[in-house]
Amino acid sequence: MRPTDLALFSLRTVSSQKLRSSLTTLGLVIGIAAVVILTSIGRGLHRFVLAEFTQFGTHLASVTPGKKTTFGLSGATISTVRPLSIADAIGLSKLESIAAAVPVVQGNARIEAGQKQRRTNVLGVGASVPEVWKIKTAQGRFLPSGESNTPRAFAVLGHQLAAQLFNQANPLGQRIRIGNDRFRVIGVMEKKGQMLGFDMDDTIYIPAAKALELFDRESLMQIDLLYKSNNSAASVVKAIKKTLIARHGLEDFSIITQNQMLEKMDSILSILTLAVAALGSISLLVGAVGILTIMTIAVSERISEIGLQRALGANRQTIFWLFLSEALALSTAGGIAGVATGIVAIKAIDAAIPALPVQLAWSYIGAAFIAAIIIGAISGVAPAMKAARLEPLEALRTE
Amino acid sequence: MLVSDTLAQAFAAINTQRLRTGLIILAMSIGVASVNMLISLGESARRYIVHEFESLGTHLVIVLPGRTETTGGPPPLFGETPRDLTLDDAQALSRSPHIAAIAPLTIGLAPVSASGLERETNIFGATHALRRVRHLTMAQGHFLSASDDSTGSAVCVIGQKIREQLFDRQPPLGQWLRINDRRFRVIGVLAAEGESIGVDFDEMVIIPVIQAQALFNTHSLFRILVESKSATAMTQASADIRNIIKQRHEGEDDITLITQDSVVNTFDKILSAITLAVASIAGISLAVAGILVMNVMLVSVSQRTAEIGLLKALGASKMQLHGLFLTEAALLSIAGAIVGVVLGELAIATLQALYPSFPLTLPAWALISSIAVALLTGLLSGWLPAGKAARLNPVAALAKR
Repeated sequence: MRPTDLALFSLRTVSSQKLRSSLTTLGLVIGIAAVVILTSIGRGLHRFVLAEFTQFGTHLASVTPGKKTTFGLSGATISTVRPLSIADAIGLSKLESIAAAVPVVQGNARIEAGQKQRRTNVLGVGASVPEVWKIKTAQGRFLPSGESNTPRAFAVLGHQLAAQLFNQANPLGQRIRIGNDRFRVIGVMEKKGQMLGFDMDDTIYIPAAKALELFDRESLMQIDLLYKSNNSAASVVKAIKKTLIARHGLEDFSIITQNQMLEKMDSILSILTLAVAALGSISLLVGAVGILTIMTIAVSERISEIGLQRALGANRQTIFWLFLSEALALSTAGGIAGVATGIVAIKAIDAAIPALPVQLAWSYIGAAFIAAIIIGAISGVAPAMKAARLEPLEALRTE
Repeated sequence: MLVSDTLAQAFAAINTQRLRTGLIILAMSIGVASVNMLISLGESARRYIVHEFESLGTHLVIVLPGRTETTGGPPPLFGETPRDLTLDDAQALSRSPHIAAIAPLTIGLAPVSASGLERETNIFGATHALRRVRHLTMAQGHFLSASDDSTGSAVCVIGQKIREQLFDRQPPLGQWLRINDRRFRVIGVLAAEGESIGVDFDEMVIIPVIQAQALFNTHSLFRILVESKSATAMTQASADIRNIIKQRHEGEDDITLITQDSVVNTFDKILSAITLAVASIAGISLAVAGILVMNVMLVSVSQRTAEIGLLKALGASKMQLHGLFLTEAALLSIAGAIVGVVLGELAIATLQALYPSFPLTLPAWALISSIAVALLTGLLSGWLPAGKAARLNPVAALAKR
C-alpha cells in the first residue's frame, strides 16, 4: 500500500465517524490548548519580570555592607557595625572600570510644601542617578555633581509627589520641608511607575549626605555602580573588592552584579513555566488514554473488515500501519486544532486584558504539538498490533 | 424496573467490556488523583504558613517606624525615618490597659567571636518580654531578665547554631562572647527553633536592647512587638498605640501598625487562591475524562442498538432506558473517582515518606468534592448518549440487525 493511499484510507475512516473522531480530538485539543495558554502566560510573566530588572541596564553592580544577608535582604537595611561611607562611593567611582557610582540611603519622612504635606519615600542619592538608573528629569535638573561630601540642600521630586504637593503650580525653586530640614526643589523626574513594588513616582531624591543627617545614620544602605560595558563582571567585582578591602582593611561587604541577579530570576521563572506546563500536561495524558480507548474500540468493531482486507491480500504490516496512521491522524488533528485554539485564546487574552503580560512560548508550543503526535503513535501501537495479529479466517467468521 | 435491577444491568454491561472500562477508569482516576494531590500540597502549604505566623506569638501587633501614603504599596518594612521609635516610646505604651507585653527590638549585623573563632551574625537587641511574645524556649541557662533590661548588663543569649560553631564541645554558659569590640557573658542557649518566617533564631545572638543601641550607635528601634491582652482587645490596643505615639511625636502620626491576623489573613487568601487555581488547572483533565466517557457511551449505544430495540419491544420506557445508560456512566465515573482517590492517597503517602518534616493532609472537602465532580462529569457526559438511546425507534433499532 502506498503511503498516500494509507493516508487517504485513514482519513476516510476518521471522517466516517465524525462525532466520535471529533470528541476524541477534543480531548487532546483541551490538553494542548491548556499547555499553550499556561506556558504563554508563564513566559509573558518571565519576560515582564526580567524587563523590570533590566530597565536599569545590565552593567550594574551593587555593594552592601556586611557579609551576611538577613530576611533575604542585605544587612544594609538594618544596623551594622561595618558601615559603607560616602567616601567609599567616591573612591569606587574613581575606578577605571566604573562609569558612575550612586550611594543610596532609603527612608520615609513627611514632606511639607506650603499648606500641603505628604508622608512618602525619601531616597538619599548621588548626582549620577539619571545615568545609573536610566531615569530622566522632566523639569529642571537633577542634583549637582561634585558636592557629595558637603551638598547644598536641594531636592528633586518624583512625578506623582510633585503633582500631589504642587498640583498645577511650578515646583521649581520652591522651598519644602523634609522632616525638620529645609530643601529647595530643583527638579521633577519623569513618570517611571512602580519598580518591583517600590513606587518611583511617589519619592523624593535628596543628596545622600543630607539623608544620613536627616536619619541620623552613619552607613549607606548600598552603593549602586554602573560599570563600563567593555569590562567583564568578574573583573569589575575584583576591582571593587580590591579597593574596598584597601579602604576597610577587611572584606566586610557583599557585591552582587545585575547578571547574577538576572540568572537567579531567570532560573526561578523558567522552573515556574515548566511547572505550569506540567500541570497542563495532566490533561494531555488523559487525552492520550482517550485515543487509546477509542482505537481499541475501533479495532474490535472492525474485526470483520480486517478479515476481509487480509483475505484480499493485505499483509500484517499493512493492517498495522493502517490503524497506526488512523491514531496518528486523530492526534495530529488534535495537535493542530489545540495549538490553534491556544494561540487564538492567547491573542484574545492579550487583547482583552492588556495588563496581563503574555508571550507565545514557541518552544513549549512545539513541544506540545510533538507530544500530541507521540501520544498518537504510542496509544495507536497497541491496538494496531492487536489488529495485525488477527487471523483472517477467525476475523471473517466473527459476523 | 427496580433500582437494584438497573444497577445490576448497568454493571453487567460494563463488565462485558473490561479493557474499555479499565481505560475509562484510568483516565478518570488520573484526573481525580492529580486534583487531590495538588489540593493536598496547596492546603498543607497554607496550613504550614498560617501555623508559622501564629507561632510568632498570639494577639501580636507589630509597630514599625515611618508611614507612607503611597497607595497600594508595601508597608515601609525597611528604611530610615527622621523621627525614630525610641525605648521611651516603647515604655510609654504600657499606659494602655489593653496591652499585655511590649518587646522593643533593635536588629543589626556584627561579627561575633569566641576562643579564636569568628563569624558574622544577626544581633537582636531585646528585653525579657521577647521570650513571652515570641514563645521562645531555652535549652540551657535562662533568658534576659527584667534587671538586665534596665541596667543593660553585658550578657547574651545565643542560638543553637552559634553554640555549635563557636563553643563546639565546651559548655557555653558563663563564657565570654565578643561582639565587635564588646564582651558579653553567655547566660543562656535557645532551644533549636528552626527558621520561622525568615528569622532564624538558631543563628541569633540576643543582647539587652540598651547594649545593642550602644553597639550600633543608634537610639532608634527597628520594631516594637506588642502583645494585646486578648484577641478582642487588639483593635483597642492598636488605637491606643497610635494615640500614645502620636502624643509623644508632637501630634504626628508617623508609625505603621501591622496586626498579626491581617498578615495571616492575607497569606491565607493568597495561598487559598493559588491552591484553587492549581487545582482547577488539574481539573481540566476531569473535563477531558468526561469527554472520553461521553465518547465511549456513544459508541456503546450505537453498538447495542439491537439490544435497545429488544428492550423497547419488551416494554421498556424512555425513562428506564435513559436511567440505564446514565447509571452506566455514573458507575464508570464513580469507579474512576475511587481509584483516583486511592492513587492520590498513595502519592501523598509517598511524598510524606520522602519529606517527613512537611506535614501533608488532604482535607475532607477535597475528597468529597473530587468524587462529586467526577460523578457530575460522568452524569453530564452520559446525558447525551442516554438520550440518544432512549429516543431510538424500536422497530428501526430491531431491524438494523
